[in-house]
Amino acid sequence: MELLDRYLEAVRKHLPWQRQDDIIAELRANLEAQLDEKEAALGRPLTAAEAEAWLKQLGSPILMAAPYQPQQYLIGPAIFPIYRNVMKIALTWCAIIYTVATATALLIKTPHLSDFVHAMTDVPVILLTTAAWVTLVFAALEYAVAHHRVKLPAMGAPPSAWSPGALPHLDPNGVSGGKSRTYAKAVAEVIFGYLFLIWLLLIPKYPYLLMGPGAYYLSSLPYRLAPVWIPAYWCVVALSVLQVGWNALNLYRGRWQKPQPAMHLVYKTLGMVPIILLLNAKDHAIVLLKNPALDQARLGATLDGINRSINWSVALICAIAGLQLLWGIVQLILNVYRKRAVAGR
Amino acid sequence: MTLTENLFENLRLELRRGCLTLAVLAQLRQERYGYTLRKALADDGLVIDESTLYPLLRRLEAQGLLASEWREEEKRNKRFYRLTPEGEQIFAQLLQEWHAINASIQATLNTSTNSTL
Repeated sequence: MELLDRYLEAVRKHLPWQRQDDIIAELRANLEAQLDEKEAALGRPLTAAEAEAWLKQLGSPILMAAPYQPQQYLIGPAIFPIYRNVMKIALTWCAIIYTVATATALLIKTPHLSDFVHAMTDVPVILLTTAAWVTLVFAALEYAVAHHRVKLPAMGAPPSAWSPGALPHLDPNGVSGGKSRTYAKAVAEVIFGYLFLIWLLLIPKYPYLLMGPGAYYLSSLPYRLAPVWIPAYWCVVALSVLQVGWNALNLYRGRWQKPQPAMHLVYKTLGMVPIILLLNAKDHAIVLLKNPALDQARLGATLDGINRSINWSVALICAIAGLQLLWGIVQLILNVYRKRAVAGR
Repeated sequence: MTLTENLFENLRLELRRGCLTLAVLAQLRQERYGYTLRKALADDGLVIDESTLYPLLRRLEAQGLLASEWREEEKRNKRFYRLTPEGEQIFAQLLQEWHAINASIQATLNTSTNSTL
């Protein structure tokens, strides 16, 4: 039958080339036996329409051929747990190494805000590149395991010497939805937050509250803080007011039990504002000379050194705060996702 | 196909997959070629597509559970399959396992029925 021949030829194209002839010969024998039986039952050959309907019932050539192909995974179930663990470790270390390297590179020169933005926008590219390399290596490993029977060490299995006592302790903050906070802790947060705010407001008038006796020594030096400190200081004050106010409101409304990760993220975000203000100080001058006309020639180089050091420190703090914020956002998204998944069950 | 129907279909296929192997091994205690095997399974109530059965025979042969031989019958060359000694051994073990699972599920169903009465 010509239609059967055409069908088998179409199947052949999708078969593994080494076994094409053998498989087609077997399929032909089986299908011709089936055809003989059909025609014997009818007492005549199948019409073109009947033959077409029969072959259609067998399935398209590609579907008929597909199960003959060896099962192939990009990363199969045998090595997937190892892949997942390696991916986690690689991404974590990549983030750490990148942060340290970038921070060091930024510290060598006087950092600009654009350098930070650039460094932060590079993070997804670096992580994606790492993930792609890990995937590529594991895909090659999967291929070797599947095609050359490479034996893998039991990397994915947990070590047999593990101890239940060595399991990590539960998060005391109950971020995962476990324990709630105590009333005493919530009250203490409001009281100490209020005391901190008063202390903060007193610092401009009584600097020794911050620096102790060092304040008298510093006042005798020929340096003073640049004006950029004023908005940065008031940002810190505003953030403290917000924290104390929010905590007091929660206490009043009786909503102190559950931690509020979203609000913590807001604090962290707002906490970056004074840091960014300092980083954007005009000419990166965070400390100025009290009397530049007199002292510039003598102390100009020292002042540059002081400003560079402070800029480095602020840049490092900014990088750490940025990563903490990023990590907080990731955790918040994961928690929301988990809660939705639980609710959807 | 609705989500529930789709889920049922997936679970049904999963349930059938292991049983088909067992049924094929059971049929091939006696030598058969592909088409007569398919007919014998269908006669026993287990309808199986060509695109499932014939590749399954190849896989079982590659695993050493079946042996095959090309032979002429009714003026046509056909590939006949039968269990190897290893296949017979594995079949006996699988059958025992299947009986045990069947008995466990039956016992569970009986317990559930009694507790709801």
